[in-house]
Amino acid sequence: MRVQGAFQRYLNRSGWFFVAPAVILFVVFMAYPILSSLYLVTRRWKGLTDSFIGLGNFARMLNDGLFWHALGNNFVLMVIQVPIMIALALIFAVMLHHGIRRFRGLFRLILFLPAITSLVAYSILFRILLQTNGLANNLLMQMGLLQQPVAWLNDPLLANITIIVALTWRWTGYNMIFFLVGLQNIDPEIYEAAEVDGASKIGQFFRITLPLLVPVILFSLVTSTSGTLQLFDEPNVLTNPNQSQLSGPTMTAALYIYRQAFQVSSDFGYATTMSYVIVLLAGILAFIQIRFLGGRNK
Amino acid sequence: MSQVRARFSYARVFLYLILSVVSFLCVFPFIWMVLGMTLNPNEVVKGTLIPGDQFLVNWGKATGPYNLLLFGFNSLFIAVVTVVLGVTVNAMAAYGFDKFHSRAREWLFGVFLLTLIMPQIAVILPLFRLISAFGILDTYWAIILPFTMSAFVIFFLRQNFQMFPKEIVEAARVDGAGELRIFTQIALPSMKAGIASAAILMFITQWNSYLWPLITILSDKTKTLPLAMFSMVNAYTVEYGGLMVIITVSLLPVLIVFLAMQKHFVAGLVGSIK
Repeated sequence: MRVQGAFQRYLNRSGWFFVAPAVILFVVFMAYPILSSLYLVTRRWKGLTDSFIGLGNFARMLNDGLFWHALGNNFVLMVIQVPIMIALALIFAVMLHHGIRRFRGLFRLILFLPAITSLVAYSILFRILLQTNGLANNLLMQMGLLQQPVAWLNDPLLANITIIVALTWRWTGYNMIFFLVGLQNIDPEIYEAAEVDGASKIGQFFRITLPLLVPVILFSLVTSTSGTLQLFDEPNVLTNPNQSQLSGPTMTAALYIYRQAFQVSSDFGYATTMSYVIVLLAGILAFIQIRFLGGRNK
Repeated sequence: MSQVRARFSYARVFLYLILSVVSFLCVFPFIWMVLGMTLNPNEVVKGTLIPGDQFLVNWGKATGPYNLLLFGFNSLFIAVVTVVLGVTVNAMAAYGFDKFHSRAREWLFGVFLLTLIMPQIAVILPLFRLISAFGILDTYWAIILPFTMSAFVIFFLRQNFQMFPKEIVEAARVDGAGELRIFTQIALPSMKAGIASAAILMFITQWNSYLWPLITILSDKTKTLPLAMFSMVNAYTVEYGGLMVIITVSLLPVLIVFLAMQKHFVAGLVGSIK
């Protein structure tokens, strides 16, 4: 027994040895900052000095129309962009998997290509393409679809459309890859049986493909929603280049928080307080993910 | 697939037509970007789609006044050091969690996973104060250290280590091998695919990182490529040709890794964040 105990202790020590570097980095750069934010939310900064204000930051947040407006934008983008992207990703995945045989690999590669770009790089490319005097306007005018250039990046409605188009360009192929993997896991015999029973292709899609892909679709839905909730790079680069501006048609919550903390007021207490709302929403999304996706895997 | 037969049908022609149009839309910004490297600023904006003769001029601007080589080196240094340190630290942790069970460590692993849902904006505010208290703002370490340990990479590698039989570890232990030696000489070499995916994931995350460097990098000497292009496009006069050179250079390493290691690349990217 004593030998056994010594061996267990040896194993336990070895285990701690392997995880120690990660644990140290985790404590310093993740756990401590998160815990210290509990202190930050109770402070108010004026210039370089800060003082205790209790729940004052929360009260201020509730009355901050610009913040709720920005968060509202996140939801608008989410509700419109995510379904469009997931529908397209699903359509392309089914096209590649069931519709064609030749060049399947090539199309898959090309459709995934946008996903390798950095968010800043593709946002800059879109910004230049969509400038008032840019290629998009020139092309549309030459084709006779526009009489005069339009402000893709500044007009409230058009700027939102721009962000939606950009996000869809960047992420459709990425989500399509998940759906393709999902499709590969469906037994072809199910389709053969349906074929024998005389089910149409459309019928097969709604009766077989879609129900069997529900877990993958939910996964895409949750990750995309969570990504849109944290949207920062695209609106900062593409549609809100003026760094000291706190409102705009495509201002998002993360961008508003960043500008409050680093561009406009450097009030970290208030910025941290607002970030708690995003944490809360992300937590709810994660809960949904575990509840619905985790349950399915059992 | 049984339902795909090599017969002619209008439906199939239609599918290929749609996919070709979509492919064109996916590729077009890249083509326009590469052409842009050879054009003068005016032509880039207008959307000239034939190659020009300004490549050397644009290259000269990118590498001269716009410091492409310095910023490229900064990006590369940060990404490579993060990968080397990160893969070591995270692979060790994944191995430790998977091959040495204890209730305390299992609990810790759960806490790690919990932080995966933390939105970046919520972490960086207090993290910025910490980094600034350490006095390492505007250094490479400000960007490397906080992103060396990655809960996702540990989770990902642990999944991989689960496929590595515990019996082999036990057999090597009976033969008198030390724990570190079992890890470096037996476990790690059998995990090349997982390690490659993890390395690609960490490289791309750091290479493309924007928000955190935007906050912690204050001077040109530590600036990375995403920041360089961001300040270029926000300048009063935008040097579009040079900008296209910088963007193309920033995409090249990712593109090369993607084409060379598609399978590992996709596995790695699946873990990256929006």
